[in-house]
Amino acid sequence: MFRPSRIAGALALTLGLAGCGGEDKPTNEPQDFSRFDAFPSTYSLQQEQDVLIRSATVLTATGEQLQETDLLLKDGKIAKIGKGLKAGDKALVIDAQGKWVTPGVIDVHSHLGNYPAPSIESSQDGNEITSPNTGQVWAEHSVWTQDPQFALALSGGVTTLQILPGSANLFGGRGVTLKNVPGRRVQDMKFPDAPYGLKMACGENPKRVYGSKGTAPGTRMGNVAGYRQAWIQAEAYKKKWDAYNKGESSDKPDRDLKLETLAGVLAGEILVHNHCYRGEEMAIMMDVAKEFDFKVSTFHHAVEAYKVADLLAENQVCSAMWADWWGFKHEAFDMTEANIAIVDQAGACALIHSDSSVGIQHLNQEVAKAMLAGQRAGFDIPPREAVKWFTLNAAKSLGIEDKTGSIEEGKMADVVIWSGSPFSVYTLAEQVFIDGVLMYDRKDEKRQPHSDFDLGILDAEGERV
Amino acid sequence: MKTLNRITSILLASAIALLALVHAETMLIKGAMVHTLSPGQDKAQRLDILVEDGKIARVAQDLGNASADWTIEAKGKVVTPGIIAPLTSLGLVEIGAASGTNDAAVADITVGPSFDPVAAFNPKSTLIPFNRAGGVTTALVTPGSSDKIFTGKSFVVNLTGSFDSVESRNVAQLVYFGERGSAVAGGSRAQTLAKVRDAISEAREYAANRAAIRRGEWRDMAFSINDLEALQPVARGEVPIIAEVHRASDILAVMQLARELNLRLVISGGAEAWMVAPQIAAAGVPVIIDAIDNTPESFSQLGARSDNAALLHKAGVKVVIAGPGFLATHNAYLARQSAGIAVAHGLPHVEALRSLSTNVADVFGIDGGTVAPGKSADLVIWSGDPLELTVFAETVLIDGKQQSLVNRSTRLRDRFLKPKQGHEFGYKF
Repeated sequence: MFRPSRIAGALALTLGLAGCGGEDKPTNEPQDFSRFDAFPSTYSLQQEQDVLIRSATVLTATGEQLQETDLLLKDGKIAKIGKGLKAGDKALVIDAQGKWVTPGVIDVHSHLGNYPAPSIESSQDGNEITSPNTGQVWAEHSVWTQDPQFALALSGGVTTLQILPGSANLFGGRGVTLKNVPGRRVQDMKFPDAPYGLKMACGENPKRVYGSKGTAPGTRMGNVAGYRQAWIQAEAYKKKWDAYNKGESSDKPDRDLKLETLAGVLAGEILVHNHCYRGEEMAIMMDVAKEFDFKVSTFHHAVEAYKVADLLAENQVCSAMWADWWGFKHEAFDMTEANIAIVDQAGACALIHSDSSVGIQHLNQEVAKAMLAGQRAGFDIPPREAVKWFTLNAAKSLGIEDKTGSIEEGKMADVVIWSGSPFSVYTLAEQVFIDGVLMYDRKDEKRQPHSDFDLGILDAEGERV
Repeated sequence: MKTLNRITSILLASAIALLALVHAETMLIKGAMVHTLSPGQDKAQRLDILVEDGKIARVAQDLGNASADWTIEAKGKVVTPGIIAPLTSLGLVEIGAASGTNDAAVADITVGPSFDPVAAFNPKSTLIPFNRAGGVTTALVTPGSSDKIFTGKSFVVNLTGSFDSVESRNVAQLVYFGERGSAVAGGSRAQTLAKVRDAISEAREYAANRAAIRRGEWRDMAFSINDLEALQPVARGEVPIIAEVHRASDILAVMQLARELNLRLVISGGAEAWMVAPQIAAAGVPVIIDAIDNTPESFSQLGARSDNAALLHKAGVKVVIAGPGFLATHNAYLARQSAGIAVAHGLPHVEALRSLSTNVADVFGIDGGTVAPGKSADLVIWSGDPLELTVFAETVLIDGKQQSLVNRSTRLRDRFLKPKQGHEFGYKF
């Protein structure tokens, strides 16, 4: 992942202090549209104790199911995968005979923290329903880190999740990728160096929300006009900055928070996460992306992805899907349980997502149902392949597949030990490691996090449940 | 050529229909592992099942010599009673956000307990074949209301999709307590309880003075005559109220009210029911839960937890597991998954199965729910453990008749498995 902005930002700061100049000059560097230096990640999980997981059945998410295999987690990374591995005296050794191990579960579509529990009037912080384009808002600024649902998601094996703004607007704002660790501030949870996301929305929601107010968009064609108009503005904005940074223009443009996010997409830094149910709308959005030369990372809630699976493969766009949700709105009417399988078999990037504080706890089970539907459709989809739908392909969607999402040496030690096959309804996540640190242990109450909210709430002397 | 084909296919179709009729007479299911779910039978057994005239005629270890028009070899398969889905809007909703397809709830301030949505039931809804394919054979259909505490009459349907699929009417009255009840009653839970007390008391006053009230020679009543009539079987304790309530203290208050008024009570929701499980068990009140939902979604559900079903069962409470959250109608069959998760959190497997069928039948007086002679032959033959995610319903019988498992989901799948290219894609091959 190309990420000059952090370094550029730090360098500029140092130079500024040393030279006492502070004079704005053309940098010849690309403009920092992501703004990683605003609200920087303070994530600091450090693995101090080596972990040796012994004799597990390992689904690597690279297409392999390894039997009786050991994993060594060291310095936050998966250090070794093999048999008969050794660890030092101080290591935590776990006998995982009969247990299954997968990469940590990744949910690309969550509203934990911005639609927290309990859901009350004052906690609806996920949708900035004030304008069809709110590219200036950042979901992380709504995240209530003490949402008790983060811990529930952790007990379902979730190690990484993207918090997105809602779908009321054509451009809902920026999403943020978090590691599922307790934090006093959202910065403590931010996945280091993960790209930002831009939430976009097709279809019923934006046209209903704004059309009912008598403002644009009021139709699906109005939606598309809205996207194109905004991309025209973003192109012009980016061009101004590019000209300035190259020294072709001496007029320093004014910053515009909204256009900064869109320009970040055009620069290839920020990933488009597009709520889009219908096949035809996905096809239109892929053409909008071509018109303005950007990429859609992922269609979310892609209920009809199976109808355009070949186009998705050709355009290298991921689809984040449910296993079987349908019928709550017209654009969710044409559901087939084989959706994920058909998309996957067409060679496109297919993954599960939740959009739900209950669903996020069972993404492995949702994948099990989708795998069955694929098998019943006649596809040969074993667990070693289907596991990618809740791990590696989700990491691809978020642009972090070089760091996490599979069990490979050198990757982040984000690992779940399951009580059995993750494709069984009776299986539970027993232990969850994030960067090699045991963050959840079903058998040890001391290794089960509780948010501030959980303390003394049903039982003054205890935790919520 | 075309005509010939058509005639052939009509003939074929008639022949199949005829065969189906013949076959419907007697059927033998051989060698399956059967969860009869009858009292005391807590383990699956290898049994044969003989079906005659839509009923289960015999259940025994070996009916090898029984004569049947049709035999299903089910060795290696698992049989359970069909799933009975509680608390659905099946046949009353097609698309949630398409108001013209919604008939489950009324915002009519003149209609309360007498609202009877059975007249709106649509057996041709696409939700019916889809849920049937998931193993649901029967469903309780309950109305809703945006501004009434009493929502109206619930009814029972089978999932054959035929025009005569309503099995029984007015089997329960869903009543909002807790947060929703408070919102409808004017802002306090206490007011909801008071209003229910007033309603029952007025219904009894009406029963004792019916003639005078109907003639208009009585004080003005708060409820319409229709509503007062509808409340009669409730007030007599014949039709249960399904009380939607989550918070432990609210559950106790509702149980107190039901005791005081001699009402038959079923609790629905019950996120914190485990906290008062002994009291619920002592009162013999069944509880319908959304077993997969362990989130503290409201301040009334702070005690939500995954082992609610297990704790309730352990205390002796009859548990019914409903479909998940807002999917409880479109995906009513997913109660299976919730039941499986409840097992992972300590509910005995057989009780999980009972929570999907037997207990629902018991609570609402529905025929079915066990595999026993005399019961309706509403049966599912599963490819394995019915609670497992990678297991599916291979055969579904309703009243002894084999049901189609084709539905829009499978039709769309089949069209797009090998989509025809270009403009040909819209034609049937």
